[in-house]
Amino acid sequence: MSKTLAIELRPTSRRKPFNVVRWYQSGGFTAVLFAVPIVLIFLYFTWGPIVQGVVLSVQRTNLVSAASWVGLKNFEFVLTDPGLPQAALNTGYYALLGLVFGFPVPILIAVFINELRKYDWMYNLLAYLPAVVPPVAGILLWKFFYDPSGEGIFNTMLGWFGVGPLPWLNSEAMAMPSLVLYTTWAGAGATAIIYLAAIGGISSELYEAAEIDGAGIWSRLWHITIPQLRNIIFIMMLLQLIGTFQLFTEPFLFTGGGPNNATQTIMLKIYNYAFINGDYGAATALSVLLAIFLCLLSVVYHFVTKRWSPS
Amino acid sequence: MKKQNLRLTLAVGTIGILTALTACSAGGTGSASTDASKADPNAKVTITVGDEPTADKAADRANFLTMVQQFEKANPNITVKPSTEYWQAQTFQAKLAGGTLPTTMNVSLTYSKQLIANHQLPNMTPYLKQAGLLGELNPLALNNVKDSKGDVYTVPYGLFSVGISYNRAIFTKAGLDPNKPPTTWDEVRADAKQIHDNVPGVAGYAQLTTNNTGGWMLTTMTYSMGGTVTNKAGTKTDMGPATEQALQLLHNMRWVDNSMGSQFLYNQDDIRKSFSAGKIGMVLQAPDIYTQAIPTYGMKPADFGQSALPQANGTNGTLTGGTIAMFNAKATPNQLLAAAKWVKFKEFEKYFDKTTAVAGAKADSASNKAVGTPGLPPVADSINSRYLGWIKDYINVPLDQFKGYTSSTLPLIPEPADAQNTYAALDPVVQKVLTDQNANIKQLISTAAQTIDRNLSQAAG
Repeated sequence: MSKTLAIELRPTSRRKPFNVVRWYQSGGFTAVLFAVPIVLIFLYFTWGPIVQGVVLSVQRTNLVSAASWVGLKNFEFVLTDPGLPQAALNTGYYALLGLVFGFPVPILIAVFINELRKYDWMYNLLAYLPAVVPPVAGILLWKFFYDPSGEGIFNTMLGWFGVGPLPWLNSEAMAMPSLVLYTTWAGAGATAIIYLAAIGGISSELYEAAEIDGAGIWSRLWHITIPQLRNIIFIMMLLQLIGTFQLFTEPFLFTGGGPNNATQTIMLKIYNYAFINGDYGAATALSVLLAIFLCLLSVVYHFVTKRWSPS
Repeated sequence: MKKQNLRLTLAVGTIGILTALTACSAGGTGSASTDASKADPNAKVTITVGDEPTADKAADRANFLTMVQQFEKANPNITVKPSTEYWQAQTFQAKLAGGTLPTTMNVSLTYSKQLIANHQLPNMTPYLKQAGLLGELNPLALNNVKDSKGDVYTVPYGLFSVGISYNRAIFTKAGLDPNKPPTTWDEVRADAKQIHDNVPGVAGYAQLTTNNTGGWMLTTMTYSMGGTVTNKAGTKTDMGPATEQALQLLHNMRWVDNSMGSQFLYNQDDIRKSFSAGKIGMVLQAPDIYTQAIPTYGMKPADFGQSALPQANGTNGTLTGGTIAMFNAKATPNQLLAAAKWVKFKEFEKYFDKTTAVAGAKADSASNKAVGTPGLPPVADSINSRYLGWIKDYINVPLDQFKGYTSSTLPLIPEPADAQNTYAALDPVVQKVLTDQNANIKQLISTAAQTIDRNLSQAAG
């Protein structure tokens, strides 16, 4: 069948020779005119800085006098930084914690809200509310929650059950999980909205059929909702992975990378290189390395998830 | 697949945002010429000046704008454009590179040194001489803003040294004499313990630890115990028994006496808030904490006490810090001369002209700002005393409670080489000692020393 179709289509699919007049008359020139500004803006503001960043990474500059070329010295400097392995491990640890504990939360919230017959808008609002709070304000608020003394909000609550007081951000072991707890709170609502929209797109006939067959809520979740959400879950997981590898605001404002570098991340290192040390070469070198790593991660992720996806 | 490509682009693009912050033209004019004759004092010139008070500080702003008018009247060839631009880490370097910084603005002394070392500031010696400002500056203060050749790059005017701030009310509650703050580190430890034992919920002594302040204060403590952090040439670390002693003292107060409370991740703002709220008995601070503790955080003036930095192993000294006026490396010689004249008028006129002195103090007082906070005068002591006499009716700072600080004659020691970078490497050392009972102090110092040495050799290029 397909063979016949191909033979039939061949004559019509042959390209006509390019004709400027016809191209102009059919609006080709106008289309280009429309595209030029956006392409230029994109090139200048998006790719320009990226190229500049790559150039900076092989330079030594104070941004005032002329820069000098140093080859791969900046890369050598950042790769031999004794703090880099810990920063990389911390970043990976955060990504892992986020994936294991933070990632399922918005899916569960979305499913929960979707199951509600009444007042679902209110739960929707409540779930989304943290996303409206600016990160700096949210973090300052949570700093109070995490007060390590017995009078801290979380410690007071734990005290009712005879637990604590916990040191929260003041302990090397607890600092990173505390950051994950905050970012889950801050980010889950916004992600849940996306899942909720995707759930809305699942055919209700599937659920009706399952209900007739006597499937319970967990069974429906496992056999219908999650498989149907597979593609969006994969995309959200990639976005979350990329996001977690760029963790900066939370350790910067909560702990400054402490205690004893327990929350020092790659992005925080880049910031410190650039804005504390004034070493832009090292900062961009590490940025380029992180970008390459994230590109590779995305490619690997793409091929791995492609195998899992239905053909 | 298309979507996937989009994600890939997104990944690269996000990184691009960061690089965008730094991606600016690498070209520039370099430092200014040392030839003073290039600046024509009568040429028509326009300069921008930073740190204009924002509209919410009405009295300050009015006073600032009046000063601009007076300056323009006295210098008809100079047009001054005020700008609310002030120093911010995130945007400073990009603006410096883009040439959009004001011709002059204020910067913390610690960054001034880094800017000088990075050759990001113009050599101001000829212009300051031409403006007649160089001779008026306190030579002690000037030492902080010179390079190895003796050239002056910035103008120091708000200098201070680190001391110890304490809460007089807490001292009284703990049974301590608020008029006898500790002068040695042994006394600090004993007082902190007494506060901890007698005033529940209060940390006897608290330490700055994050955003490079941990290293800053460890350096201060090291100085006070007779040690040093980097060698004189600024090429290597030189930490010894004094740094170990400082860390051991913190370890003992934290783990033996338990007199340091439960919060060990303090940056400057957080510790000032906690201190002002009466949760901390003693903390290492410069007296400028007063300008924030009382007007901003509502501490009672009567509760505030400031003394000199406690010492150990004899009298050794303290660390200096403060505010300086910096100048834009991309400005023309005429602009730099005009900016030097402006700084002289804005920051130094009050020391020589009674009307300016009184007007400034009156505006500060009306804005509820602290007037007369002690510090190191940027001019000779006698001139400073005369100035304080002029504004004495407006002084709202309880100077009696600063006696321990103002009567101190401790030697002033400049910051270590590559200061912020060095402090950053020492932050985790202090944090580890305060959060891990089994911290190995010697090993922590040696690891930090390796990092600092590496940074110093990178900074040297």
